[in-house]
Amino acid sequence: MNKSLQPDLLLLVRDPIDHAALIQHVRAAEDGAIVTFDGCVRNHSHGRRTLYLDYEAYESMALGKIREIAAQIHEKFPIHLMSMAHRLGRLEIGETSVFIAVSSAHRPAAFEACRFAIDTLKRTVPIWKKEYFVDGAVWAEGEMPPAPLETCAAKPAS
Amino acid sequence: MSPSLQTARVKVLFFGRVKEIVGHAEDSVELPDGAPIEALFSHYGANHPELRRFRASLAASRNQEFAAWSTPLHSGDEVAFLPPVSGG
Repeated sequence: MNKSLQPDLLLLVRDPIDHAALIQHVRAAEDGAIVTFDGCVRNHSHGRRTLYLDYEAYESMALGKIREIAAQIHEKFPIHLMSMAHRLGRLEIGETSVFIAVSSAHRPAAFEACRFAIDTLKRTVPIWKKEYFVDGAVWAEGEMPPAPLETCAAKPAS
Repeated sequence: MSPSLQTARVKVLFFGRVKEIVGHAEDSVELPDGAPIEALFSHYGANHPELRRFRASLAASRNQEFAAWSTPLHSGDEVAFLPPVSGG
């Protein structure tokens, strides 16, 4: 299989995510498993009641990083197809912010690839959420992406 | 910025908390050709002391790839100072 020809569906969207379309995209006769991850907006954060979230992205870079995740999971796991969509803008409680579907002939690969995809997205894709509460708003505490090697300096990356 | 024989014009993008501190989403800056990303950050840090407090938690990117702060910049480059990511 040539992974560069994998027709994965990778999207940043502003409208509600169409779960069924993303699942349908990876469904194929040769696959015995589809594993999905539905990341949705929770009504609380650090003990405070959340009203809604607002997501923004460095869109060109975010899409590039999402494509890298797709390439990585094809390399690491014997999966067939992947679809991944992240929504941007204002999201209400319960709405889906990110959805991933992965298909494979046998279930272990799809489970592992799906987990790898969401974990990697949370560390490397330049998307930010602002959490709105009754008494104010904060940018969610995020994760530091892996640091590139400094060419002449202080901190060697491991 | 200090004078140099050659200058480079780079596009700078701001997101999240950094955008709120700087007050806009995009800028275009002329700097000596080959100046590191760090020097560009210092330019904004000088005008926005609050930004300097976040330096340790920021990542830099050049042309849509994470980049070391020592990366030299050239004309046409697109740079961003990225707060810790919180997608998902």
